[in-house]
Amino acid sequence: MSTMLIAVILLTLLALFFGVLLGFAALKFKVEGNPIVDELEAILPQTQCGQCGYPGCRPYAEAIANGDKVNKCPPGGTATMEKLASLMGVEPEPLNAEAQSQVKKIAYIREDECIGCTKCIQACPVDAIIGAGKLMHTVLTADCTGCDLCVEPCPVDCIDMIPVGQNLKNWNWRLNAIPVTLIQETPHEEKRG
Amino acid sequence: MQTLLDQLDKGTLWRSPGGIHPPEVKFLSNTTPISQLPLAQEYLVPVPQVGENCTLAVKVGDKVLKGAPLTQGTSIWHLPVHAPTSGTVVAIEPRASNHASALPVNTCVIAADGEDRWCELTPGSIELSNQEMIAKIHGAGIAGMGGAAFPSHIKLNPVSEIELVIINGVECEPYISADDRLMREYSQDILAGIAIIHRLLSPKRIVIAIEDNKPEAIKAMQQAVSQSTLPAGSTRVTVIPTKYPSGGEKQLIQIITGREVPSGAIPAKLGIVVHNVGTAFAIHQAVTQGKPLIERVVTVTGQNVGKPGNYWLPIGTPVEHVLKQTEFNAEAEQKVIIGGPMMGHALPTIQVPILKGTNCILVPSSQEIGITPEEKACIRCGECANACPALLLPQQLFWHAKAEEYDKAASYNLKDCIECGCCSYVCPSDIPLVEYYRIAKSALKQAADEKHQAERAKLRFEARIQRLEEEKLAREAKAKEAAARRQATMTSTDKNAVTEAMARIAAKKAAAAEATTDNATVEVVFADTSNTEAPKGKAAVAAAIARAKAKKAAQGADDAESSKQAFSSESSEPTVQAESLSQKDKVAAAIARAKAKKTALKADSDTNGDTEATVNANQPVAETATSTEADDKKAKVAAAVARAKAKKAAAQQAELSDMAEVQPEYAKQESGSDVESRNELGSAAELSAPLSPEDEKKAKVAAAVARAKAKKAAAQQADSSEVAEVQPELVTEAKPESGYESDSATEPSAPLSPEDEKKAKVAAAVARAKAKKAAREADALSDSNE
Repeated sequence: MSTMLIAVILLTLLALFFGVLLGFAALKFKVEGNPIVDELEAILPQTQCGQCGYPGCRPYAEAIANGDKVNKCPPGGTATMEKLASLMGVEPEPLNAEAQSQVKKIAYIREDECIGCTKCIQACPVDAIIGAGKLMHTVLTADCTGCDLCVEPCPVDCIDMIPVGQNLKNWNWRLNAIPVTLIQETPHEEKRG
Repeated sequence: MQTLLDQLDKGTLWRSPGGIHPPEVKFLSNTTPISQLPLAQEYLVPVPQVGENCTLAVKVGDKVLKGAPLTQGTSIWHLPVHAPTSGTVVAIEPRASNHASALPVNTCVIAADGEDRWCELTPGSIELSNQEMIAKIHGAGIAGMGGAAFPSHIKLNPVSEIELVIINGVECEPYISADDRLMREYSQDILAGIAIIHRLLSPKRIVIAIEDNKPEAIKAMQQAVSQSTLPAGSTRVTVIPTKYPSGGEKQLIQIITGREVPSGAIPAKLGIVVHNVGTAFAIHQAVTQGKPLIERVVTVTGQNVGKPGNYWLPIGTPVEHVLKQTEFNAEAEQKVIIGGPMMGHALPTIQVPILKGTNCILVPSSQEIGITPEEKACIRCGECANACPALLLPQQLFWHAKAEEYDKAASYNLKDCIECGCCSYVCPSDIPLVEYYRIAKSALKQAADEKHQAERAKLRFEARIQRLEEEKLAREAKAKEAAARRQATMTSTDKNAVTEAMARIAAKKAAAAEATTDNATVEVVFADTSNTEAPKGKAAVAAAIARAKAKKAAQGADDAESSKQAFSSESSEPTVQAESLSQKDKVAAAIARAKAKKTALKADSDTNGDTEATVNANQPVAETATSTEADDKKAKVAAAVARAKAKKAAAQQAELSDMAEVQPEYAKQESGSDVESRNELGSAAELSAPLSPEDEKKAKVAAAVARAKAKKAAAQQADSSEVAEVQPELVTEAKPESGYESDSATEPSAPLSPEDEKKAKVAAAVARAKAKKAAREADALSDSNE
């Protein structure tokens, strides 16, 4: 009888101990947020364009982590979709929207037509437009992500999306090799002498 | 155990891995002294050449003297560019660059005047302080002359201690002999430059490295060293065996010291700095004579050059001129290569300038260069790995680069590839390996840039979200505070005042509603005066509906009595009110409306977009300008916006009433007034003449408010049976007035001032955009209704 009692008490104590241990661990080593969201977000192009239907790249990453489709990012194109699919372990699917042409575009404000309404400034998700009320606005080209969000609110249609041109910095080498063939070396000894 | 310094003094050499022994062919150019070429007609000086942020110091039409700076920069990385000869700046425009792509870069074109007159130079001496010397070298625009064109003053002002300076006279690439000839002929000047480098860096040793295929240069340099004022034993000439690519910075360090520069690091980390002999010469010129870097020795060689040799060429000399002067005979598909045969690049065009890093122009015959052999499959022989001086695995890199798995290629240290071309040279399958690496490298660089951009975008996005949040909180706090203050200060008399004010506003609104009725009538009249244009898009229809609605509603609102009374009084209104109400109201409203309509029309039908729309918008502008007083921009914009909104609302309203089965009447009304109303704009715009700005503004605001009211009323009225009766009335009553309106349409127009034009343009643009939006919405609505 007492053996059984001891066993019961012992097991109860053990259960309590482990329960407390687990409870402590759950608090102490709690993981903030979902780590997969960070990985997904790192893949997304961060244009913050909202074409996926979410207000920014992070919300879309969260949505994917919660089971949304991976094919809603036109700026990222097929390459991004494939990376997202492999990370989530789902089948790649064709993009739901027409994938944007791979040519990168940035916004350009025709400054003499700008009336200084600040609407584009409010629309820009990355604060890449500077200007003040009733004063001309302009786009910081280095920070523009080409998300298109400023074009629609402009009351005077003075914003163009211009493709980024090629320059010496972003030119892709497609150089024809200069082949070297062995030729007979004819030393000009008499000349050297 | 000997120390490194002992071994340097003994001239001990280490073996560098890989490398090849291509035919040198230096005999073509190294037998004649360095000579001058006649001046070119034009010099093409790219601005900037090294470093990005700078401002031009000259403008088109300026006369410049030889050596005058063309750019000014603030960044430490920027090197000033100088005029290569005296002459006139004839253009500053994009011209083809001396680059494998020949993409245009901003270039300062200087037409030589033939005098070649120097600007005033300020010679310095060895007595200058180090800082002054470095400033002088920076100001002279000296870049590394070996090819990479790295700003020299940065290498001469390192943050860490420098123990060893290597002067690179190796010149390992075939064909090139510019440094060889420079060392033979200007050894004293080079040594003077080395002395300056010694002063600035105070290294323990200076080693002048020269390949053993240049015996004359070695002799000349050794002699110069023995005569120099440098501390004995600090400087020596070390002869190294001929092998390509011993002249590479990292390879040379390995040969001289046996130490390897870590991947991604610079030699300064090991306490070593490498300078080219040409750079030493240029430093001497800059410090002791004050001459900026405006010319360099360039080897012009190849079997298709009549006079191969080395020439002093001003920076910016067109390659075309050089080739002409050296009796170049072009053959079919002639290649012109900048740099040597191993690392150089073929030029797509020869109208490009000589740059600070250009050491050779190679014009080979087809015999020398041969046809490009066909690329065959890799047989995994491993020859490339044996030849690679950077100890990479070229076949592995090739594999991944070809499959476009650039991240895998990067994991095989692609970035350490110096693109020397040894692997391509030894490849038995004739694979252009370096080409693959270059493509892979640029793809990787692009990916890295994009990544960086995305990071920045994310940071900025998050910062913005945070800012908006903070602003919102601040606003709320402020509002709360203000409300509390108001509550505290408010007394009973204040409250009375508020109620009185409300009553006044209500009274004003009633008056305004009447004005609307009048406006509406005027509009129809305008429509009658002109009817030549063909029927157009939906925007116009929507606008017309809106107008009709407003009219109807106004009647309803105006007359609280029966519908019979409504139109009986209406028929008398046009004449009475046209005079009693201020004419200004009508005019202001009409202008904006007309503009909106016309542009909406255009926007709808034309596909040309902005340009045409702008042109059209100018039309009303010209007419509006007949007014003697300045147009009030703000008032106009406000009026236009209000109207566009009213239209939008009306469009929605129209759909509602469609459902209420009163459509037949509307359709009639529309086709009657709308088709004709296209040209209304012209006459309307001209009516603006007699307005004063304040009146105009007030009237406009009133009109806008009234319209909004009218629309609301219209919504209530739409269902009623009155509508059917009112419609015909309106049309008939409108007709008689047409005579009066067409008179005003013939008002003379006067030339307009630029300010007026701009303001009017802006107003027109706003109105146009609004109208477009309204039309779009109307479209969408009607679609969904169908």
